[in-house]
Amino acid sequence: MTKQNAPRGNHPVLLALLVGLLAGFGGLARASVATTKPPLRPITVNLQDKSALQNGALYTLHMCVACHSLQGVRYSSLPKMLGMNRVEFEKVIGTNGKHYHDTITSTMPPAIINAFVKILPPDLTDIARRRSPAWLYTYLTSFYVDPSRPSGVNNTVRYNVAMPDVFAPMQGLQKPVMVQGLRFGSPAQVAIGVKPLTQGSMTQAQFDRTARDIVYFLYAVAHPHQQERARLGPWIIGLFLVLSVLTFLIYKLYWRRVITGEERWWRVGK
Amino acid sequence: MNSSKQSRARRVFGWFDDRLPISSLWRSQLTRYPAPKNFNLWYFFGSLAMLVLVLQLATGLFLAIHYQPNPHLAYWSVLRGIQRDSRWGWLIRDMHIVGASAFFLLVYLHMYRGIMYGSYKKPRELLWLVGIFIYLALAAEAFLGYLLPWGQMSYWGSAVVTNFVTAVPVIGKPIATWLRGSFVVGLPTLNRFFVFHVFLMPVLLLALVLVHMIALHHVGSNNPDGVEIHENVNESGWPRDGIPFHPYYTVKDLFGVSVFFVVFFWFVFYNPGGWGLLLDKLNYTPANILHTPADIHPLWFFLPFYAMLRGVPDKLYGIMAFGGSFALLACLPLLDRNPVRSIRYRSVLYKIDILMMAFSFLWLGLIAHGFATEHNMVYGLHVTEVFYSTFLLLPFFNRERSTRAKVIWLVAAEAVVWLIDLWMYSIHAHGWDLMLLTDWIPTLYLLLLFGLAIGFPALTRDAQKLPERLTAGGIFH
Repeated sequence: MTKQNAPRGNHPVLLALLVGLLAGFGGLARASVATTKPPLRPITVNLQDKSALQNGALYTLHMCVACHSLQGVRYSSLPKMLGMNRVEFEKVIGTNGKHYHDTITSTMPPAIINAFVKILPPDLTDIARRRSPAWLYTYLTSFYVDPSRPSGVNNTVRYNVAMPDVFAPMQGLQKPVMVQGLRFGSPAQVAIGVKPLTQGSMTQAQFDRTARDIVYFLYAVAHPHQQERARLGPWIIGLFLVLSVLTFLIYKLYWRRVITGEERWWRVGK
Repeated sequence: MNSSKQSRARRVFGWFDDRLPISSLWRSQLTRYPAPKNFNLWYFFGSLAMLVLVLQLATGLFLAIHYQPNPHLAYWSVLRGIQRDSRWGWLIRDMHIVGASAFFLLVYLHMYRGIMYGSYKKPRELLWLVGIFIYLALAAEAFLGYLLPWGQMSYWGSAVVTNFVTAVPVIGKPIATWLRGSFVVGLPTLNRFFVFHVFLMPVLLLALVLVHMIALHHVGSNNPDGVEIHENVNESGWPRDGIPFHPYYTVKDLFGVSVFFVVFFWFVFYNPGGWGLLLDKLNYTPANILHTPADIHPLWFFLPFYAMLRGVPDKLYGIMAFGGSFALLACLPLLDRNPVRSIRYRSVLYKIDILMMAFSFLWLGLIAHGFATEHNMVYGLHVTEVFYSTFLLLPFFNRERSTRAKVIWLVAAEAVVWLIDLWMYSIHAHGWDLMLLTDWIPTLYLLLLFGLAIGFPALTRDAQKLPERLTAGGIFH
């Protein structure tokens, strides 16, 4: 029962040393695939901003859904999220001619997909779980003119993107800010930002707000249970925190005699 | 038996007890099962792993009810049917996802506990070996389950792993086709993976866990001091350093469970994807057979093995390298034959070696987390050599060695490492600069270990006086 018998105390020091080394060597692992990345435009998603969500839904369901689908989402799941009732939703945003309980699928006819697009654009249901809001925001606002591409445009965060610049009529065209950088370890001209080239139907601030609203909406559909999580989480975690304290007290109570080393206090083994 | 009213319950219970060994099992396995009284924090993880197993079975049952094992339906049956359409489906699925990672974390900690305190030594060799089989079954279970959501990473991860078999000469390809039921991962693969994941592997896991428990209760628990409590019993045959499992360890484990659930549910509610570590972000894209991702890698718990596989520039040898690491774990009782069990009473250099074992494992994971560049592959190879040497050097510590023996060990170990490097270089020449950039890692590790052993013989000396009784009790000792 005497504690000093155990020759301990040197391995925590060693452990700390090794953890430090691990952190140091971690850098070595990635050095050779360096790619110059453009800075992402910061954005804070606010799911309480219902008018922004409604505006995002309007643009997503009328513009994006021309090509993209949101197969995981039903129209009927949106009104509550957007702070509307069914009548308002059907009047203001609508269901693209589909049934209210249908999933959101691309309005592009399959014949057109086969004739022109060939490859289906990615589904947007969980795009905000695949990509961060800041990435999406930067992506939506960072198309630039690149004559070497079939669509005539490229994107700073998604190099050689296949999507055409559908925002050009609103945002206007943009030109890249190029720097000499690295792409997968090799020297290359890398676009790290964009500058306006032509004027669109919106001002820059208006367009940024529209892009922000689309990101809000995409984030909301990708995280459909944020409210339940926020409501339930503290209770469940709190319950187990309380239980941790209680069970620790019970443990102390039971183990008092074990730790003090009192012998023969159990009544077993007779 | 008295005939008062309260004895009716006793009589009913007695009827069952006469026909089933309820009270005798309760006594022999719980209230009169002697456990060492000095279990510390490291002894939480076994019981927690059992808890997570039950949790995975319970959540998996509900997921299986709603899941469609068909490539056309699978992805949306998970991402829409379970995550969005069915009530509480998101909670059950997130618990299953976090549970899978928790299971591995707990099992890794549990295994490392066994390594630290020599719990694989006589008479617990079979207990350890059954544990290794549990780990293998768990790995298979996780791999099979990962295909089911039919996301991009699910699909391509399974494609990579089912292609392992093709490394076997001549018969490899037909066997791979037979295993997949198809030339590529497809409907037959998904069907059989589903059945294996929800039926075969869970049954196997439960059976193995039962055998693990039976073996444990037969030989008794080891403890942080490595003292055999059954060798010191009182006049009634009860170990002097033993306490009944129930209530002492049940109340201790209840505390462990509560703390575990705080962390577990934090992840479930606030971070189910675990920064892309618990569920790969690419899995939010449906599987596309025509689009291979630029970077295919497994979830965090398989990353170290992936680094070993990638590090060796030949498919068959690579598979042997990572399969060999399981064999090393299984062979631990053969490699470490030093009579001293616990790391507390082992030499300083042995402690460094055991720490390096865990450290190089994490290090490999970090390397495999990066892209599959030539540099990272060679880097992985060299850290694999360190990981292997932490095991293969264990016989060195079995007894004290003469200076001559230490020098021979050093020269032999360095020679083996360099010969392996030359061999690998002959398979795939990637430039000496790349090779030398990280080759100092195993070289330096061996040099450091044996250099210290030669220069400071005291560092290889185990504690001269082992305790006869346990030294302390309680969680934080």
